[in-house]
Amino acid sequence: MGTSDLDRQIEQLKRCEPLAEGEVKALCLKAMEILVEESNVQRVDAPVTICGDIHGQFYDMKELFKVGGDCPKTNYLFLGDFVDRGFYSVETFLLLLALKVRYPDRITLIRGNHESRQITQVYGFYDECLRKYGSVNVWRYCTEIFDYLSLSALIENKIFSVHGGLSPAISTLDQIRVIDRKQEVPHDGAMCDLLWSDPEDAVDGWGLSPRGAGYLFGGNIVTSFNHSNNIDYICRAHQLVMEGFKWMFNNKIVTVWSAPNYCYRCGNVAAILELDENLNKQFRVFEAAPHESRGVPAKRPAPDYFL
Amino acid sequence: MATAAAWDGPTAAELKAAGAEAIPGGVRLKGWVIQTNKGPILNSASVNLFEDKLQTTHLPEMVFGESFLSLQHAQTGIRLHFNALDALKAWKQEALPPVQVPAAAKWKFRSSPSDQVILDYDYTFTTPYCGSDALVLNQDTTQTSLDECSSLCWEDTDDQIDLVALSAKEPILLYDEVILYEDELADSGISFLTVRVRVMPTGWFLLQRFWLRVDDVLMRLRDTRLYCSFGSNEEVKPVVLREICWREATFAAMDAEGYPSDSAAYADPNLVARKLPVVTQKTQKLKVPS
Repeated sequence: MGTSDLDRQIEQLKRCEPLAEGEVKALCLKAMEILVEESNVQRVDAPVTICGDIHGQFYDMKELFKVGGDCPKTNYLFLGDFVDRGFYSVETFLLLLALKVRYPDRITLIRGNHESRQITQVYGFYDECLRKYGSVNVWRYCTEIFDYLSLSALIENKIFSVHGGLSPAISTLDQIRVIDRKQEVPHDGAMCDLLWSDPEDAVDGWGLSPRGAGYLFGGNIVTSFNHSNNIDYICRAHQLVMEGFKWMFNNKIVTVWSAPNYCYRCGNVAAILELDENLNKQFRVFEAAPHESRGVPAKRPAPDYFL
Repeated sequence: MATAAAWDGPTAAELKAAGAEAIPGGVRLKGWVIQTNKGPILNSASVNLFEDKLQTTHLPEMVFGESFLSLQHAQTGIRLHFNALDALKAWKQEALPPVQVPAAAKWKFRSSPSDQVILDYDYTFTTPYCGSDALVLNQDTTQTSLDECSSLCWEDTDDQIDLVALSAKEPILLYDEVILYEDELADSGISFLTVRVRVMPTGWFLLQRFWLRVDDVLMRLRDTRLYCSFGSNEEVKPVVLREICWREATFAAMDAEGYPSDSAAYADPNLVARKLPVVTQKTQKLKVPS
């Protein structure tokens, strides 16, 4: 697959037109070669722009690129949850993947809890692949690539980035580096925690979710993790925040959320975090793409004789 | 939930024929003012406000705190209202024990940190809420319900909501669906509370629905239906019927009945409803103050 092919595919995906099945297969093979070389704690240089959950909201991701600048001019780090819930998971993930293959040093993609076979079968990506391609082959190619995505990133040795949060099984970055990540997201253990856990004001130390699975971590856990790994703060995604970003625990951890008007009805704004070469921070807040630009008219729902 | 087809609302002729008047966010007819409001999810400041009011630190991920459905009858002072705050007050009061997800069994055996706290609130936000009601004596004094003794009273009745009348394809003068709150249960299922309303020339009908699916564990559906038939004379006191129907089943029970046992098969509560066994059902009539 040549550069001109890739450039054409990127242009096509930017118009929200999915690739042919064969092209997806070739793209995934190429991406695999790149991703397999990446560390579980992938090193990222500043300046970089950090983005949270996208969830298949393709036209809103185009707004993100309008605000943050195009790749490769801007160096990007995406914190996972590219797929599910929105209408365009296929086009969203393939565009990011094509950019990764074309500009491997200018975009970093790490894994979110939705980059999983099990979750995508319930929350939309599987059905979308089936609907758009008439078979589940594209879903298979993509979920295989999910297994190769890195688990976290470290920006200039100072900012630790992960989709969910910390794990009681992890106190040093080296413990993340030795995880065998090439697998479906497990239901428990360190890899699961990194993709699923949440910071929680109401606990000091570790908390267990009332669901009986899933860790919550308090401020002192973050403080001690940051201290022992000599990092300034943690940047994570995973939770919807109305203002697009939210600091917790005296600026020791920040949540970045990049899906505006989440699920097309929440009315929230989204944010990305721009770090310059000196790691100075600037949050860029943006709104959902206007209705006209997505080719869907903003009409009232048709009345329904519900009973 | 929302259908793709577009709708431009009722025609002027339809409104006129019914003696109805379009007002901002709703419609006025036969002595009733029926309105909906749809806002965004709570921002951080409003979340704090809700947490204070509810005395909790846990709220659904998406609370549409400004959204509501309101139905007021000026002559009798009846005011029916559906909103997230009152629904969450009822959640707090019911305080069901949390539902364990399938992975929980495995987690029990995982060596846990010694200083671990186990949170035990009902994260499904299951609520017995079936609307707020109040008697509005004049424009200034509004008595809201739930906390205080409600001025309106619902009595059990053998009457039934007239499904035949409701099946008639009359013009719809107002149709809306309002989400009050929603939570993705951290990708372990779905929980939401919505209310739908339709107003026709002969009456209004609404369905408030609490829907819960904890993947591979259980489904819970709590429907509240309200129906008011206008009758022929506007002076006559309105008759409002309320049917409460709760259904619930575990995935294990569904499997035993021969139904699919994977969560993907239960995305749409409309299609699931009839398959779930009824656990509570009653019909009540609004006692109209004299």
